[in-house]
Amino acid sequence: MNALADILFGGLFQGSLYAMMAVGLALVWTTIGVFNFSHGVLMMLGAYFAWQLVDWGLTAALAFPIAVLLMAGVGWVLQATVVRPLIGRANLVLVVVITTLAAGSLIENGVLELWGPRSKQIPPLVAGNAMLGGVGVSLHQIAIIVVTPIILLALWLFLNRTRLGLALRAVAQNEDAARLVGLNVTMLYGLAFAIAASLAALAGIFLGGYRFMTPVMGADPLLKALIVVVFGGISSISGPIFAAYLIGFFEAICSYYFGLYWTPALLFAALILTLMIKPEGIFASRSRGLA
Amino acid sequence: MMNMLSVTGLTAGYGRVTVLHGIGIEAGKHGNVGLFGPNGHGKTTLLRAVSGLLKPKAGSIVFDGADITGESARSIVARGLVHVPQGNTLFPDLTIADCMSLGAFSPHARPHEAANKERVAALFPKLAERWRQRVRTLSGGERQMVSIGVALMSHPKLLILDEPTLGLAPKIKDELCKAVLDISKAGVPLIVVEQDVEFLLELTNHLYFINHGQVETEIKPGDSLAHSDIMAMYFGQ
Ligand SMILES: Nc1ncnc2c1ncn2[C@@H]1O[C@H](COP(=O)(O)OP(=O)(O)OP(=O)(O)O)[C@@H](O)[C@H]1O
Ligand SMILES: [Mg+2]
Repeated sequence: MNALADILFGGLFQGSLYAMMAVGLALVWTTIGVFNFSHGVLMMLGAYFAWQLVDWGLTAALAFPIAVLLMAGVGWVLQATVVRPLIGRANLVLVVVITTLAAGSLIENGVLELWGPRSKQIPPLVAGNAMLGGVGVSLHQIAIIVVTPIILLALWLFLNRTRLGLALRAVAQNEDAARLVGLNVTMLYGLAFAIAASLAALAGIFLGGYRFMTPVMGADPLLKALIVVVFGGISSISGPIFAAYLIGFFEAICSYYFGLYWTPALLFAALILTLMIKPEGIFASRSRGLA
Repeated sequence: MMNMLSVTGLTAGYGRVTVLHGIGIEAGKHGNVGLFGPNGHGKTTLLRAVSGLLKPKAGSIVFDGADITGESARSIVARGLVHVPQGNTLFPDLTIADCMSLGAFSPHARPHEAANKERVAALFPKLAERWRQRVRTLSGGERQMVSIGVALMSHPKLLILDEPTLGLAPKIKDELCKAVLDISKAGVPLIVVEQDVEFLLELTNHLYFINHGQVETEIKPGDSLAHSDIMAMYFGQ
């Protein structure tokens, strides 16, 4: 009925989801300087952990935080096995694309083996529905719209206003200099991946709460996250966050006026155009590092 | 008075290549220590081993009464042994202010952060003007100043400077020399590697000539030595 409410809600919801998917990817890129191509698989694994815990009888309020914490551990191990040993290599970025893809495919097949291909669902963050400006929406979606900015803000404050966040931004820029001021390099690498994997798990829980889960559910979100990060500019964590909401609103407007069918094509046209005019991304300055 | 730093029989290298062959130096008793010698004979390697960037293969390093052989760089800096590495590029995407905060990362340096920051600003007024500038956009001389500033933020008991004036123009070199002298006069003992003999003699009175990963000659304070003696060592008698 109400075009404005429809677009506003759709844009905020999609934007929040995209931001949650992309922010972990952006965090690892801006701090460690590699792209984690298992990020989508981590979303999936986080959702499956949550599902398993709920299936064992835990309440969602308990299961979700535990799943997020478990995924922090997975992120740490992933980093220690397929990223950290490669630091210092030439072509690091490409090598890590391959190792994280490999690790991701291993995890994906493990999940398929363990939990089977049948689709599953986890409980929503908040059950129930509401009417908003004449549009029927689920409370789960509203929860996502509310929770996401809080998490993003907390992450931004951590990175830009705390000394540990500063250390995280510094460590990969010069490992010797980092050690000489007393940074624990191993711990910081682990921390970057642990946070990123937790954020991925949260995105997975958001997704699994309103859509059926399968072992390959992370593939599309990874692609979306990559688009968001490249579009927003890979030099900062705030660029992708803004880009996520921009894309969310763009899609909401397109699908309202032109229909769902045309939206992906229009989005890619806009992306290509943007990158032709501003190759470093829409919100980016030229160098890596947070702003 | 005890020596602040004693290195004995230190052997270290990279992979299968041994660079240091049982080297030994003492610092902190007779004033500032200077290391000199031909390029590629292990001065930087020695300093990297002392500050924990490189694990020694044999030998011992004692600092401030504690055996620090094989300790991590993190715990060594926390003891107040601070190293400004050769050609430090620091953190290119961070601002000068960020680098200073990182300098005070070690727990022992936190309580002195504000005072040390003022000290750095007084020592290098040029930096104080551009606190929010990114390191990658600084000139070589300015970057060296930041590098030394970061070390001061770590609240050093003993400061290691590896070629602080390497590749700098005379004017900025003089500025840096003056700053380093000020630091020393304020009571921080130094270990300095420097190719500029003039500066080395002005700053230090206890010299080690390092050749082939060993101390070939030690010149203690009071030993008579002239500029020409050192030049002779450099170029081989
Ligand atoms: N990371 C490294 N890997 C392998 N070999 C190295 C490494 N760093 C230094 N070396 C070698 O160790 C030897 C000693 O180097 P070092 O940097 O300690 O010399 P230096 O006395 O500081 O020289 P300079 O006056 O040029 O700075 C050299 O032969 C050098 O090639
Ligand atoms: Mg050297």
